[in-house]
Amino acid sequence: MPAEHCGRTRARGEVRQRLLCRARRALDALEQLVGGLGTAILAVIVLIALAAAALASALGIGTFLRPAALRGLRFVADRERARLSHCGPEMIDPRPAPAGVRAAAADPSVRRELSWLITHSTFGMAVGLAGAPVPYYVVRDLTYPLYWWAVPGDASERSPEFWDVHGFADALYAPLAGLGWAVAFMGLAPAMARLQAWPGRRLLSPVPVTDLSLRVARLSATRAAALDAHATELRRIERSLHDGTQNRLVAVTVMLGATRRALARDPSGAAALLGRAQDASEQALAELREVVRGILPPVLDDRGLAGALAGLVAACAVPCRLNVDVPGRCAASVEATAYFVVAEALTNISRHSGARRAAVTVRRHRDRLLLWIGDDGDGGADETRGSGLAGIRHRVQALDGRLIVTSPPGGPTTLEAELPCGS
Amino acid sequence: MRIVIAEDDPLLREGLALLLRAESLDVVATADHPADFLTAVDLHAPDVAIVDVRMPPTHTDEGIVAAVEARRRRPDLAVLVLSAHVEQAFATELLSGGAARLGYLLKERVGRVAHFLDALHRVAGGGTAIDPDVVAQLLRRDTALERLSPRELDVLSLMAEGLGNTAIAENLSVTEGAVHKHIRNIFAKLDLAPTDRADRRVAAVLRYLENTPAPRPDAASPPFLDSPARY
Repeated sequence: MPAEHCGRTRARGEVRQRLLCRARRALDALEQLVGGLGTAILAVIVLIALAAAALASALGIGTFLRPAALRGLRFVADRERARLSHCGPEMIDPRPAPAGVRAAAADPSVRRELSWLITHSTFGMAVGLAGAPVPYYVVRDLTYPLYWWAVPGDASERSPEFWDVHGFADALYAPLAGLGWAVAFMGLAPAMARLQAWPGRRLLSPVPVTDLSLRVARLSATRAAALDAHATELRRIERSLHDGTQNRLVAVTVMLGATRRALARDPSGAAALLGRAQDASEQALAELREVVRGILPPVLDDRGLAGALAGLVAACAVPCRLNVDVPGRCAASVEATAYFVVAEALTNISRHSGARRAAVTVRRHRDRLLLWIGDDGDGGADETRGSGLAGIRHRVQALDGRLIVTSPPGGPTTLEAELPCGS
Repeated sequence: MRIVIAEDDPLLREGLALLLRAESLDVVATADHPADFLTAVDLHAPDVAIVDVRMPPTHTDEGIVAAVEARRRRPDLAVLVLSAHVEQAFATELLSGGAARLGYLLKERVGRVAHFLDALHRVAGGGTAIDPDVVAQLLRRDTALERLSPRELDVLSLMAEGLGNTAIAENLSVTEGAVHKHIRNIFAKLDLAPTDRADRRVAAVLRYLENTPAPRPDAASPPFLDSPARY
């Protein structure tokens, strides 16, 4: 007996779980149907615009309309792509919109977008109109007994469904209909949402060949940029070693050579020469330290990213708030780049911004490291003047990351960087 | 001897000038830019120019270009080029117009003041000064040199650096007669026409070495893998 009871409880729990899951899926489907209805309305507008442009072109006055209509097509297609990416597998953008009308006509992706536009503005619209109002029917019918008396009209007009409503008894059937709507919606809505999305998924995805070539082109570009940045970095290190450190050491040997000659001839002048030699060797050491720091700051190894950034912030002339929340470690190159981004940003803030306050925020979101550095200064930072920001952009791009600098004249300046963690 | 120095590193420029002036040599001008250097050459008519290979704006071979241009303007100007590392292409470019009144040395040689002054005087006097590292790189390319005895190889190296018979004899602690005999043997073994003038001799030897293709892969190894020089 207890075993049977237990089994029944479990079965009941399972049914509840399943119902909940069904309800959640139905809600998702509703969201999709409503979203699809939205893009379908946009599609109708763009379709009308395209037709107007075509008509105007036939009359010889459509020169200005055509590009706008094409942009509209791309816009609504992109909206649908974004919507579909949101609720399913990601839809990759095709290449940038073709420049001219002739190029557009020759572009298979534009033709596919056009087919989608026609399908979605009719079929997609119909599916959306059929599916989206159903939850309203459910609520209306379930609550009908509460308000049936207030609905104006005669027995057949006031009925929500097909039977006449003469009194409360008739109204009590309405919740049954509402329940029926609810069951039908829960059963059919996901399929309807899929049906509505299907033309978009088929026609708005790039042709398979395009897809691959796009990916290859993008990967080749980032890889080339990475190699390029790597070579630039090596050249920078080589140059600072040759033109800095090595020259200092050569100067040391020159002074020492001169000292030896002086000792043989006039020992009194030797001390001054030795002093210069020592100065030069100290400079060599300082420059060597700079070079090493530029490759990989030792402080990162010793104290981790948070500790290293705390050091930078403490040394900043402008009062600066630091907020680091990065569980675990990222790849060394990523941490180093993050460090240099913050270092450069803080240098700019204390040198040029005139800011009174600054803030540095570092977060890890899934496999990406996000940096945000802001100040309340004068703004107007220009990447083309001064190589600091440009150098940072190179470093960030080499890791396939992104850097956004916002610095309108008058301020404030924010610098956002996004780096793949590589771990 | 009137000297112009073209070196963009302030400390090194100052050090060089200091060193040369301490040796009672006349440093008439120093320059930190190729354009300033050429102006100084026009203005001061120096006997010798000491030029760093890497100069602004790009810090690649501006020094070499400026040196070649200075020689074009004043063909009797002696030029001593200083380089941070051995770059065969620079040496070849510099020596393409002949080896007389030319020098190509690694920067750190300056610290060995006696040798540096010797090279400077040699270049100013119409001779040649080629860095031992350059010579060593060239010598390694040639399998025909296996026919030479070790002593003959030593003589060949010093000869390629631009040293005269007396200096070679001093360097190897042998008599001048012995050096003379070695040189005759070397020229015979390498099928070179014998000559006594040091600069022609250097040019002949360098041209011979330059035109020999590199036989072994390791001969093309980058400069930093080279054995340290003899100085």
